[in-house]
Amino acid sequence: MTKPKFSTLFVGALALVMVVLLGAAVLLGGSTERAGKTVVTVRLWDEQVAAAYRQSFDAFSREHPDVEVRLNVVAYSSYFDTLRTDVAGGGADDVFWLSNAYFANYADNGRLLDVGKTLGQDAARAWDASVVRQFTRNGVLWGVPQLTDAGIAVYYNADLLDRAGVDPAELDDLRWSPDPAADTLRPLLARLTVDAAGNRADTPRFDPARTRQWGYNAANDLQGVYLNYVGSAGGEFQDGDRFAFDNPAAVQAFEYLVGLVNSDHVAPPASDTNGNGDFSRNQFLQGRMALFQSGTYNLAAIADQAPFRWGVAMLPTGPKGRVSVTNGIAAAGNAASPHPDAVRQVLDWMGSTRGNEFLGSGGAAIPAVTAAQPGYFAHWAARGVDVTPFFRVLDGPRIPAPGGPRFAAGYQALTPYFDEMFLGRRDVPGSLAAAQDAANAAADR
Amino acid sequence: MTWSRNAAVYAGLVVLAVVTLVPFGLGLLTSFTSARQFNTESPLSVPSPPTLANYLGLGDAGFGRAIVVTALVTAVILLGQLTFSVFAAYAFARMEFPGRDALFWVYVATLMVPATVTVVPLYLMFAEAGLRNTFWALVLPFMFGSPYAIFLLREYFRTIPTDLIRAARMDGASTLDVIVHVVLPASRPILVTLALITAVSQWNNFMWPLVITSGRTWQVLTVATAGLQSRYDAQWTLVMAATTVAIVPLIVLFVAFGRHIVGSIVVTGLK
Repeated sequence: MTKPKFSTLFVGALALVMVVLLGAAVLLGGSTERAGKTVVTVRLWDEQVAAAYRQSFDAFSREHPDVEVRLNVVAYSSYFDTLRTDVAGGGADDVFWLSNAYFANYADNGRLLDVGKTLGQDAARAWDASVVRQFTRNGVLWGVPQLTDAGIAVYYNADLLDRAGVDPAELDDLRWSPDPAADTLRPLLARLTVDAAGNRADTPRFDPARTRQWGYNAANDLQGVYLNYVGSAGGEFQDGDRFAFDNPAAVQAFEYLVGLVNSDHVAPPASDTNGNGDFSRNQFLQGRMALFQSGTYNLAAIADQAPFRWGVAMLPTGPKGRVSVTNGIAAAGNAASPHPDAVRQVLDWMGSTRGNEFLGSGGAAIPAVTAAQPGYFAHWAARGVDVTPFFRVLDGPRIPAPGGPRFAAGYQALTPYFDEMFLGRRDVPGSLAAAQDAANAAADR
Repeated sequence: MTWSRNAAVYAGLVVLAVVTLVPFGLGLLTSFTSARQFNTESPLSVPSPPTLANYLGLGDAGFGRAIVVTALVTAVILLGQLTFSVFAAYAFARMEFPGRDALFWVYVATLMVPATVTVVPLYLMFAEAGLRNTFWALVLPFMFGSPYAIFLLREYFRTIPTDLIRAARMDGASTLDVIVHVVLPASRPILVTLALITAVSQWNNFMWPLVITSGRTWQVLTVATAGLQSRYDAQWTLVMAATTVAIVPLIVLFVAFGRHIVGSIVVTGLK
């Protein structure tokens, strides 16, 4: 037998290495799927909630041994981009999380299961009414409510309030108004804002260029800040799916907020907050901000990290009352799923008290199944935190959470105008008019 | 005069080095800072006490698997691309067949098409073929050579003296023998260059893996790092630990092949 040539051996060795590498890849992707089981995949963006879901679906699998649920956690930063391509390309999961801002497009294009038809019209009675309303479009519910953000409230640093001689109970009666005689928020914020030399913002020697402690986060923040101001001024942000924030009440609200930043200097400049959504929260956590208006989504971070005494107070009242936004997350069924019956069983479980209550027990999120919520309250009560301001505010009027089929495109278009407006480079009425035109034009495209 | 000029040059270089290196230093520092300290103190503060929690937290985020997937993807593409590019470039440089030059220039012209243009058609092809979210989807578009690699190799192969190849042929060498015994040993600098360029670009590839995969099974390093940022928390301490881990193999490559990297800049004119 003749010895193979070196060149043949060389190419053979390359091929062998390639085979070994591809073999490793095959092993790495090896499926643990057991025969005879239907696999239902659920896509979501939150790792903490995914851990709670794993426990929930373990319980589900014990009762439904023929169905296996697998979670697919996709980062929020790319969630809606990849979901869109995957739904269009037929590769989306059987069940996927949707937020109010993004669901309309999928509903209008027949990509989602009609929850009323799938689980029965009475199923929605067990769920948080505000989340049911958010995911109802043209009389049809398009998702099984999973989580609610509750309302917006104000976190306060009790140590800084003490130092300024402010009683936390005063915060619940705060009122903002363009009329200085009726406005109690602005004077209080001036007392809570201090420069490096210790001068308060309501004293003549205050130097706004060297602020050591901010009063408040009057930032360019849709959910936490300005939507609530627009609502409490009696204005609207959207009319149906159209952007409609160019109205006198919204002008009043934004002029007040921009004034807090650029005239009164009681809130951090927009150059710090426009591009950094965490800036205000971190200033609060660093003990450099007295009042921080936000939602329950920051509760766990503040409870775990704040090195000072803190509490939660009600949202300030505006000229037309105390108005908050509330947001929710729903699990939508993929209309193109190859196993609709298993999807129905999984959705039914996710919308049940037993299936949903796992999500609230760690205190990170509020279950949207009403009967599953006590676990959330029990968690925070055990930690000595009163979370009722986030819920009490929803007893009053609300401003609807923004959404619509082209909300994302419209919101992207309005952002640069709002950035300039909060920076004080453009006047408020002109900015709102231009931003509204740009947002609607982008949404129409 | 010379002394003062040198001092000015060195001062300028030191400033540039500081500007270049400080962001890496800050990233490294942040990766050893606890999330609590990072959020409650200045981002520039020194970790006290330094913590490994961020590195350990990467394991929970599926980072270990992402490293293995990325290494495997890079290795398969590297091997495939070098092999197929060498064969194609040799054919374009040294073999005679009708339409050779026309075919070569048409192929090289695809260099002008931005990668973003082909993402959607590629995605649809892979989705139709049922290969979405598979290992094949990550490697197939890149492993059969690239116009850039073939162009680079072809130009280099053309500088190998024809007499050398003729001599091998007269000794009875086949085309494969010529490639293995003559062309490859004479082309080591360009092959190392190409390997480095391919390894670094595939290690850092983000857009295609982001589009074609979802979930953790085939998540690569870049996508896993981007995924650390959640809806309401940027998690900078974790992100910095992730980027520190991600650049270690590239630093190792640089240390091991530093001489060749400098050579490759000369060979390709790259900066």
